Amino acid sequence: MSDASAATLRPTIVLALPKGRILKEIGPLLAAAGIVPETAFKDPEARQLRFTTNVAGFEIIRVRSFDVATFVAFGAAELGIAGSDVLMEFDYDEIYAPLDLRVGRCRLVVAEPERLASGDDPSRWSHVRVATKYPSLTRRHFAARGVQAECIKLNGAMELAPTLGLSRHIVDLVSTGQTLIANGLVEVERIAEVTSRLIVNRAAMKTRAAELEFWIERFGNAVDGQAAR
Amino acid sequence: MTELASRSLLPAGLQDVLPPDAAHEAEVGVRLLGVFAGHGYERVKPPLVEFEEGLLSGTGAALANQTFRLMDPISQRMMAVRSDVTPQVARIAQSRLARAPRPLRLSYAEDILRVRGSELRPERQFGQVGYELIGAEGPAADAEVILLALEGLAALEIGPLSVDLNAPTLVTSLIASLGLDAETQRQLRRALDHKDAAEVERRAAKKAALFVALLAATGPAERAFDRLAKIELPAIARREAEALHALARLLDAAMPGLLLTIDPVEHRGFEYQTGISFSVFGVGVKAELGRGGRYRIDGAGREAETATGCTLYMDTLIGALGDVAPPRRVFVPHGSPAEAGRGLRAQGFVTLAGLAPVDDVVAEARRLGCGYVFKSGAATPVAS
Repeated sequence: MSDASAATLRPTIVLALPKGRILKEIGPLLAAAGIVPETAFKDPEARQLRFTTNVAGFEIIRVRSFDVATFVAFGAAELGIAGSDVLMEFDYDEIYAPLDLRVGRCRLVVAEPERLASGDDPSRWSHVRVATKYPSLTRRHFAARGVQAECIKLNGAMELAPTLGLSRHIVDLVSTGQTLIANGLVEVERIAEVTSRLIVNRAAMKTRAAELEFWIERFGNAVDGQAAR
Repeated sequence: MTELASRSLLPAGLQDVLPPDAAHEAEVGVRLLGVFAGHGYERVKPPLVEFEEGLLSGTGAALANQTFRLMDPISQRMMAVRSDVTPQVARIAQSRLARAPRPLRLSYAEDILRVRGSELRPERQFGQVGYELIGAEGPAADAEVILLALEGLAALEIGPLSVDLNAPTLVTSLIASLGLDAETQRQLRRALDHKDAAEVERRAAKKAALFVALLAATGPAERAFDRLAKIELPAIARREAEALHALARLLDAAMPGLLLTIDPVEHRGFEYQTGISFSVFGVGVKAELGRGGRYRIDGAGREAETATGCTLYMDTLIGALGDVAPPRRVFVPHGSPAEAGRGLRAQGFVTLAGLAPVDDVVAEARRLGCGYVFKSGAATPVAS
């Protein structure tokens, strides 16, 4: 066997975590599951991307939320935490999402400018232009009701698109709805409720079932413990 | 783009396989076919392209949107390029080999072409090496097919291996009994495939507890069967679960210590299976090495037959095998006697004959990537 394939036979488990907002909510879950990352992990300024933990052979990587799904789908990480929005967008066959972590709660919505919402009749649409971070999910959502969605992929500040004439609609995550209101937008349709999920690579789940189930159960107990409090 | 670059650019998902990989791939195929032949599986060679109706009926229908079509200018009928070999073998069994005694054991090693690659397998053309056991059913037939895959992979020294057993029809019958609309069924299926317990609870409504219990009955065989035994299943699903258990016992008896996992809810990719299905994984290999299962060959006027088959994915196998040890090559300078080359080849050397005299035979050997040069009657190592 070559060095390259021998390297993939590592005994470690890699957990991919999303940078940013959700990371704060995940902290208590990690602690309850008995995982304490090395101190550099807490430092948002740290350049390091890969961290050891108090558990031997258990590492954490910190990547962008969309990349968590990619790392896990390709087996570069065995475990990950990703929003159900990200999982819907990619719809990777190789990802199992066995546990709802009940954090990162928000919703995925279609929004449009308030002034348009009153005079608009969605049943007459054959084509819509939508600014979104989720082009594939958006196309599927509209196609399911016979409407062709032309998606403009943006990586942030979706709310600007309607006000500046880039598109009439946006598909975006909303938690409190304050950003929509501040930009004169209203929610016209709810696509899905979103929470973060513990995700597992399919091949790893089949070949290292006992180890991974141990961690899924640990996280499951941690979630139940948080809910009980 | 330069003219050379534009001439060498291949369409997405297609590639040239170069030395030594091309030879290695062919050799792996021959070794696998040899193992299958040892168990009485005889090779068939269906054509690359055939009429669409034949290729895309029965088990082939699942891949209809993954199949390239072209118009046959001669018959003016639509033809399809195979995206899977199993439907072709099934067609052969039903037509030209209809009178051959059952069970019929056939094998194949062919390239297939698909419209789109998947995230883990971006290749649109790749090799499939497989076999079909036609006209037999029951745990003994399922066990033969699974054990043969393991034997083939063991012959390639890929391992350790792990087999995931599935019962796609179990979930199909349970979902059908819920009386859900087509869209909810599809979403429930999807949630089950992703082991998304939260979503399953939402979609399965009043039967949520049953499906969540089934989700928990996945994993290492022994524990999964314990859990499965405690679930209250309708009679038809219970029979499926018991057949799965019987098969697991056969496999365990034949190969003690085999890493066996059970997944009664997995369905993706098994849409046309009518019985137990399976996937083979290699520990540390990121994609499945092969998969198979039981299906029905629609009789098209004749009696339908049950078959069980398995397909191994050549690209994943080659990836799992890693680099090949290069052959020992020896440069035989121009003018060496013919028997020198014969002798070296008999010793297992690859001989490269010099076609014209050169001044420095050692330098020439190095230039041609030879580790040896034929000098004073023997293969002499070339210091690098």
